[in-house]
Amino acid sequence: MASVTTPSTATGDPRSAQGNSANGGAVRAMRPGTLGALGLGTVLDIFSKGRLPVRADELVDQVFGPREARGAMVISGACGVVGAGKVMQFASRLLPYGVPVIALDLPGANDGVQQQFDGLVKSFGRDTANAIMNNVIRLNYDGTSLPKELERYRPKLLLEAIPEKLELKKAHYALFRNAFPGIHIWSVTSGFPSAQLGVDIAHPSFPHQINKVFEIVEARPTPHTQLLWALGLVPMKVGDHWSFVLDVFFCGLLQATLQFCRHTNTPYWKADKYIRKLIGPNPFRAHDVIGAKGANYLTWSCLHHLGEAYGPLFTPEEALTARMRSGQAWYPPDHFRPLVNWSLDAEQEQALEAIVEGALLQMTSIVLHEQRADLPTMNAIGELCAQFSNGILARARRMGPERIAHQVGAYHRLFPAAAGTTWYPDTFMNMAEGAWTQLYVNAEHNGKAGVITISRESYNDDVDAELNRAIDWLLGQGIHRVILTGDFHLATQLVGADTLAFHPALSDEREGERISLAWSRTARRLHHDFRASVGFIHGKRCMGGMLELMMHCHQLVAVEDTLLAMPEVTIPVLPGMEGCHWPFRKADAEGRKKLLRLVLEGRPVKAADASGWLVDHAGTLENAVRTAWQVMEQDAAALKPRPFAEGPVETPDAAEAGLAPVDGPLKEARAAIARCVAEACNAPVDLALTVQARHSAAFMTGSLCRKGRLGSDYDKMMKH
Amino acid sequence: MATTAASAFPDARIPYGTWGSSYFPAWQSSPLAEVNIGQFAGESMARIMSVRKVPVQHLDYLIIGSTVPWHWKFWNATLVAGCLGKRLPGFHMEQACATGLQAVVLAAAQVQGGSSDAVGVLTFDRTSDSPVGVFPERRAYRRTEVISDVWDNFGFDPSTGGSMLASAGNVARKHRIERREIDELTAYRYEQYFKGKESGFLERVAVPLDLLNVQGKPLGTIGEDTGVKRIHAGALRAMRELDSCVTSGTQTHAADGMATLLVTTAGKAKELSRRPEIAITLIAKAEVRADASCMPEAPGMAVQKLLARTGLSMADMAVVKDHNPFAVNDAVFSKTLGYDWRKMNNNGSPLVWGHPQGPTLTRVVIEALEEAVDLGGGYVLVFGCAAGDVGMAAIFKVQ
Repeated sequence: MASVTTPSTATGDPRSAQGNSANGGAVRAMRPGTLGALGLGTVLDIFSKGRLPVRADELVDQVFGPREARGAMVISGACGVVGAGKVMQFASRLLPYGVPVIALDLPGANDGVQQQFDGLVKSFGRDTANAIMNNVIRLNYDGTSLPKELERYRPKLLLEAIPEKLELKKAHYALFRNAFPGIHIWSVTSGFPSAQLGVDIAHPSFPHQINKVFEIVEARPTPHTQLLWALGLVPMKVGDHWSFVLDVFFCGLLQATLQFCRHTNTPYWKADKYIRKLIGPNPFRAHDVIGAKGANYLTWSCLHHLGEAYGPLFTPEEALTARMRSGQAWYPPDHFRPLVNWSLDAEQEQALEAIVEGALLQMTSIVLHEQRADLPTMNAIGELCAQFSNGILARARRMGPERIAHQVGAYHRLFPAAAGTTWYPDTFMNMAEGAWTQLYVNAEHNGKAGVITISRESYNDDVDAELNRAIDWLLGQGIHRVILTGDFHLATQLVGADTLAFHPALSDEREGERISLAWSRTARRLHHDFRASVGFIHGKRCMGGMLELMMHCHQLVAVEDTLLAMPEVTIPVLPGMEGCHWPFRKADAEGRKKLLRLVLEGRPVKAADASGWLVDHAGTLENAVRTAWQVMEQDAAALKPRPFAEGPVETPDAAEAGLAPVDGPLKEARAAIARCVAEACNAPVDLALTVQARHSAAFMTGSLCRKGRLGSDYDKMMKH
Repeated sequence: MATTAASAFPDARIPYGTWGSSYFPAWQSSPLAEVNIGQFAGESMARIMSVRKVPVQHLDYLIIGSTVPWHWKFWNATLVAGCLGKRLPGFHMEQACATGLQAVVLAAAQVQGGSSDAVGVLTFDRTSDSPVGVFPERRAYRRTEVISDVWDNFGFDPSTGGSMLASAGNVARKHRIERREIDELTAYRYEQYFKGKESGFLERVAVPLDLLNVQGKPLGTIGEDTGVKRIHAGALRAMRELDSCVTSGTQTHAADGMATLLVTTAGKAKELSRRPEIAITLIAKAEVRADASCMPEAPGMAVQKLLARTGLSMADMAVVKDHNPFAVNDAVFSKTLGYDWRKMNNNGSPLVWGHPQGPTLTRVVIEALEEAVDLGGGYVLVFGCAAGDVGMAAIFKVQ
C-alpha cells in the first residue's frame, strides 16, 4: 500500500509539516497518526526523541500561568450531569499542579458535585478524595453577573456546561470575556458548531466522571488540548459541524431504533436487546442512565439541528419529541416491568438491520463526505463513546460498498422520507485503500526502524488483519527492526482479546481453534519476521491476549507502574495466544513459577515486579522509551535478550508455585490451564502452537466456560 | 335475491386480519393468574398488532373493556395505552359479558361520528384471584360488606336475589328444554371447537404470548385454552345436575385473557388490512332486557328485535355465533328462532373455551368474521347474554 509522509513536530499545522525523525530521516507511515492532528507529532518521534512531545507541567504553566500566579479552571453548569463529572475529572487531574477548579452554577441547582464524592472515595481512597474535593471551589452566580470572588482565582480556562440554548451560551461567554479578557473558553455542547458559538469545543463523552474522550473543535492545535492529552485524557480532533461525530452516531442510532419501533411496535426495552446484539449499545437504556430528561433533550436538540441542516433523515421521531418535552424515561417503571416477551420474525429482523444499518451508514456517508475527522478517530468514537462493538467504519469495511448500498436502499424503501436527505455512496468506494485499511493499526518508520501502533484496546480479527498488513508493509519497506506499542492516544490501555470474537467459538470448536491459530501465527511474525522486535507496554494495563501478543517480540520493555495480567482464569478461558508456553521458554525455573502464578491466579503484577521473568526492562516512561529505541539502534548492546528455548521446557508443578488454594469453577479452570501449560511447554515450539490452540478451543465449548462470564455475556447479548 | 340491510355505521370498518386474541386459559391454570391484566392486555395488543404488521402508531383512540377490577383501573384506557406503546386518549367501558361486543359498537360510533380514524378495541379480564372489595354500607347490619368480585357477583344478582346459574335452570324449565338435548348440544360444541383447533382455524385467531416475571425470566407461555378437554355425551350425561339442565359440563368456566380488534375509517382499513379488498361493516345492534332471572332467553329476544329492525332473517346469515355461558342459551335460541343449533358456533364458542367476561364476545366476533371470510363473505350474526338478564345482538357484513 502507498505510504504517507507524516508530521513529527509538536507545533504548527500538522497537515503541512514535513516529518523528520530525531536522526534526520523522513518519517513514513501507512496513514497519518491521530496524534498529528493535535500537533503532537508521531509515535515514532516519541521513541526517536526519547520523550513525550509535551509535558503536563509545562503546559499547565502555559495555560494557567506559573505556579506563583497560577490561575484556575472554571466549570460553569457544574452541578449538571456533564459539569459535575468534569469537575471531578479535572479537579483530580489538576490537583498535583495546584490548579483549582471553580464549580459555578445557579444557587438553586441540584448539588451534582457533592454526589460525586462516594465515587471519588471508591476510585482514589478517602484521603485523596478529600484532597480533590478541597481542590474544588464552589461558587454560585445568578446567570447574569459573575461573583466578585471569582477574580481572585484568576480564571484562565472556562469549560461551559450550561443548557443547550444558543443565546444563553453566547451571553455567558460575553460575561466571562468582559470580566476576564483572554480567557480560553471551551463549550461542552453536544450539537452547536464552534462557528455558531464563537468558542472552541471540548465535547465530552458519557460517563463524564470517567470517560476520557473529548471531541475537540479548534482552528489549530492549542496547548489547552495538548494539556488534555498530557493529563491522560483523549482529545480527538473533529470538524466544525452540527453534532460533530459522536452525536451523529449516538443520536442517529436512537433515531433509527425509534423508527424500527414505530414500524413494528417493538417495545424500547426489547429493541435495546436486539440493537445490543446487532451494533453494541443499548440506546434507550443509555438515555435513561444518563438521565432521560437531559439526555432526551440533548438528543432531540442534536437531531433537530441536524434535521434542519441536512433533511428528514434526522428529523426527530415523534416519540422522541414527546419525551423531550416530558422527560419521561424509555424503560417502564419498576411497577410495570415488561410482562409480555417479544421476538422478531425473520422479516422484522431484516427490517431492523436495514433500518439501523441503513440509517447509520447514510449518516456516516455524510460525516465522511464532510471529512469530519480522520478515519481511525471517526471509527474509534463509536467504540469508545457510543459502545459500538465495532466502529462504524470497521463495520462498513466488512460490509463492502454493495451491501451498504443495499441496506441504505432497503432503509429508504421502509422510510422513504430519509431518501430526502443526501447520501454519498461514493464515500464507501475506496475501502480497500489508504487509511480505510488501517483503522486500528498504523506503522511508521524512519528508514531504519519502525513502530507499529495499536489504537484498539482489545484484539479482534480486524486488528489481526491490520497488524499483518502493517508487518507486511514494514517488511516491504525494508524495515527489520520494530517496536510494537499502543498508540499513545486512542488506546490508553491494552486489555486483551475482544471476547465478542469468541462467541462463535462457544459452540464451534473449529472456530476457537481458528482464532487461536490465526492470532498466534500473527504474533509469531513479530518473533520470526524481524531482526529485532520490542513489545513496548505503557498505559494503565496490558492484559490477556494483548500481553500474549507483546510477549512474542524479542524483548518486552514496559513502563514500571503499568499492570500486567493474564486474567483468563477468572473468565474462565484458556490463554489462546501462546501465553501458556511462550513466556515460559524465556524464563528460568524461578521465573516459570512466577509465570505459572500469573496465569493460574489471574492477578495483575506491576511491570517493575515482572522484570527478568516476564519483561526485559521496566522503567519510567522516558527511560523505557529510550531503552526501546536503543534496542532499535543497538540490538543486544542495549538490552541483552533472554534466551528462547525452542525445545521442550520443564514447568513447575502447580503445587510448587505457591498458589493460594481455591475451590469450585476457579479450581477447575486452574487445572485446565495447568494442563495446557504442561503439555504446551513439553512440546517443541512448533508443535506447541497447535497444542495450545486445541486446549483453548476445547475449553471454550465446555460447560465451565459456558457457565462463566463469557457464556453469560453471550447469553445476555444473543438470547432473547 | 338476498336481502340487504344498510349499515348504521357506514363509514366504519373493521380491517380484516388486524385482530387477535390471547388464548383463554382456565382460571388459576396459567401465569395470567399472577399479572396485572391491564398491563398484559396493553403489551399483548402491541405484540398482536406487530404479528399482524400493524404499527400501533396508526391508532388515535383506545376503547378498553373489562369487568373485573384490576390494579390502577382508575387510570383506565390511558394506562393500558401506555403499555401498548402509544399515548392514546380513550375510555374504559363495561357491560358484563356484553362488554366485548358493546366495545366494538362504541368504536364504530366513534369513527362514524368523525371523532377518530382508527380506534383500538381492547378487552380483557382476569377472573383468577378475584379482587376483593370492601364497601362501607351504613345501612347493612354488618356496616361493612366484603365481596369477592368474581364469584360473589356470579352467585348473586342483587335485583332478583338469584344466581346466574339459577337463571339458566329457570329458562330451561320455562322452555321445557330437556337434559338430553343439552348434553348432546354441549358435546357437539366441543366437537366444533376441536375441529376448529385441528384445522388451524384457532391459530389464525389466537396469538401465543410468552410472559416474563419481574426478573425478566420466562414465566410461561399462554399458548392454549388450558383446561379445555375433549368430552363426550356419555360423560356429560353422568354429571350431577346443579339446576335444571345445568351441570358443570354444560356451562362455561371462568378464564383469563384478552382480545383486540380495530375499527377504522374505510381508507384506514384499506391501508392497514393485509387483504384490503375485504370490507367489514357493522350493520346494526340491538339490546333487550328479559324478565327477571331469565338471562338465557334474552339473546334470542335481542336477535328477534335486530332482525325486525334490519329486515334480515336468519336465512340471510352466513355465520351465527354467540356467547353461550350455558348450553341452555343455545337450545332456547334455537327453539325461539327456529334455527338449528348445529348450524351455529363453528370452530368453538365460550361454552367450550371459557369465559373471561370482557374479551369473550370480542373473540366471538373475531372468530365469526374469520369464518365469514372463509365462506366468501355474508352477514354475520353475533349475540350473547349479560348480567341483569340482558341480551345483545349485532350484525356485521363481510364483503
